[in-house]
Amino acid sequence: MELHQIRYFLAVAETLNFTRAAEQCNVTQPALTKAVQKLEHELGGPLLLRERNLTQLTDLGKQVMPLLQRTFASAQAVRARASEFKRKDVAPLKVGLAPTVSASLLISPLGEISKHVPGLEVELVEGAPDELAEMLLNGDLNVALVGGDNAAGARIDQWRLFTEKYVALVPTGHPLTQKSQIGVEDLAEAAILERVGHDGDEALRRSIFPEAEPPFRHRSRHDGHLQHLAVAGFGVLLAPEHMPHLDELSAVPFRDDAPRHSIHMLVIQGRPYSPALDAFVKVARVKDWSAGHGIQPSAGHASALAV
Amino acid sequence: MTSTKPLDQIRAELFSAFDQHEWVNYDRLTDWLRETDIASNALKVGDTAPDFLLPDWEGRLVSSARMREKGPLVLSFYRGGWCPFCTSELQALHGARAAFDEAGATLVVISPDTMHFPRDLRREKGLDLTLLSDVDYGVAISYGLLFPVPEDVRTHYLERGVDIGARHGSPVTMLPVPATYVVRSDGRIASAFVDVDFTRRQEPEAILAAVRGAVGA
Repeated sequence: MELHQIRYFLAVAETLNFTRAAEQCNVTQPALTKAVQKLEHELGGPLLLRERNLTQLTDLGKQVMPLLQRTFASAQAVRARASEFKRKDVAPLKVGLAPTVSASLLISPLGEISKHVPGLEVELVEGAPDELAEMLLNGDLNVALVGGDNAAGARIDQWRLFTEKYVALVPTGHPLTQKSQIGVEDLAEAAILERVGHDGDEALRRSIFPEAEPPFRHRSRHDGHLQHLAVAGFGVLLAPEHMPHLDELSAVPFRDDAPRHSIHMLVIQGRPYSPALDAFVKVARVKDWSAGHGIQPSAGHASALAV
Repeated sequence: MTSTKPLDQIRAELFSAFDQHEWVNYDRLTDWLRETDIASNALKVGDTAPDFLLPDWEGRLVSSARMREKGPLVLSFYRGGWCPFCTSELQALHGARAAFDEAGATLVVISPDTMHFPRDLRREKGLDLTLLSDVDYGVAISYGLLFPVPEDVRTHYLERGVDIGARHGSPVTMLPVPATYVVRSDGRIASAFVDVDFTRRQEPEAILAAVRGAVGA
């Protein structure tokens, strides 16, 4: 597979017209057609349906397009490396965070990226997952981290970064702190603080409150506010394990069989990645997110071998 | 240099453990790669090596341009921690680490594996190597090594419990042809070893000879 094949295919997929695609790529139409055919051969089937005046993507074409866009973007980032990174341009990176995702998670990845991307300008935005998805689609955000297995929209790439337990945050000296782990039954009598506009803890809430949710009395959208309410003794705050908490609070984890909270990264498909976004996405898809955040890693994976 | 078995000998041992399905898959994949002439795309001696910025096994970014300032850069593309020919090769490279250091070369190994997989491999095999993740294949395609895995081959690996696409975080399963490049400080490729027979890898001694040649040039 060669880069120019991908470029020609993406041009046809975008224009749905071989003549215009060839013009756009500055090649002859036979050369473009030949390159696309070679790509189709390698991928094991037609990517485009050609019917007289109408060109359409096949199912295979639709399936491979997002990845080919990413590979193309990634290779462009390789090529741009030498020239762009030496310039002192401003490199904006707008990151959306859902309420159950703490910015503390970004300390190490942003530190890493700033070593290699001069002119990095970070903006952090908090919002509910659907608001963040909307902002991504509008181009107001480059990337978002959200909790839960929310199905992202069709035009959004989604990667699960890690899973973690939930903990109950209670004031030091609270009876729950006598326990090393808790179950749903331990919360039967407890007042629970309501996290307004919560994301991702739907499954957890359903498992804790299968019948009906308790009558919440105190609530906030903001994790910091909820923690202050918990310190004031207004109730138990359920929070993801990675969330930093006030010194006056103790974290009591749920038992191992409780549903885990998962954190996903969302990025719009098919848009070119800036050097800052490219670096962020690459680091995010490899780094060990449990390290340094008090997260107990989920069970290990057996390493299968195959030839 | 730590004494390790020659890769050829390890290869013969791995072959002797092949079952019938593995022979069929081996023939199928290598025939397909020859037929599609994938290797003809690969960068060659004298070409300019594309520079890259990739995360290592801990998510720290590593710049090829910065590495080659210090001397020759050895890039070894491997398929993944699921491939025993690759893990044998990495163990041989690990055994030769001191010799690469002495020769003034920086050695990195690159695969499209993401998430915890490079970390697991490094820990499980005790590899003192810089493992880089070629996220979304941008480097493999820039070196002309990338190919989409044919459906029946992908199915074979899935049946063996290896979901290669999932390891890459990719909806389409692609792999690099295993290859070893020595890049001079000026960014030119001094040595290229590319073989569509994924069971054949360059012996560390041969890579070291190329490194010494690149320093002397």
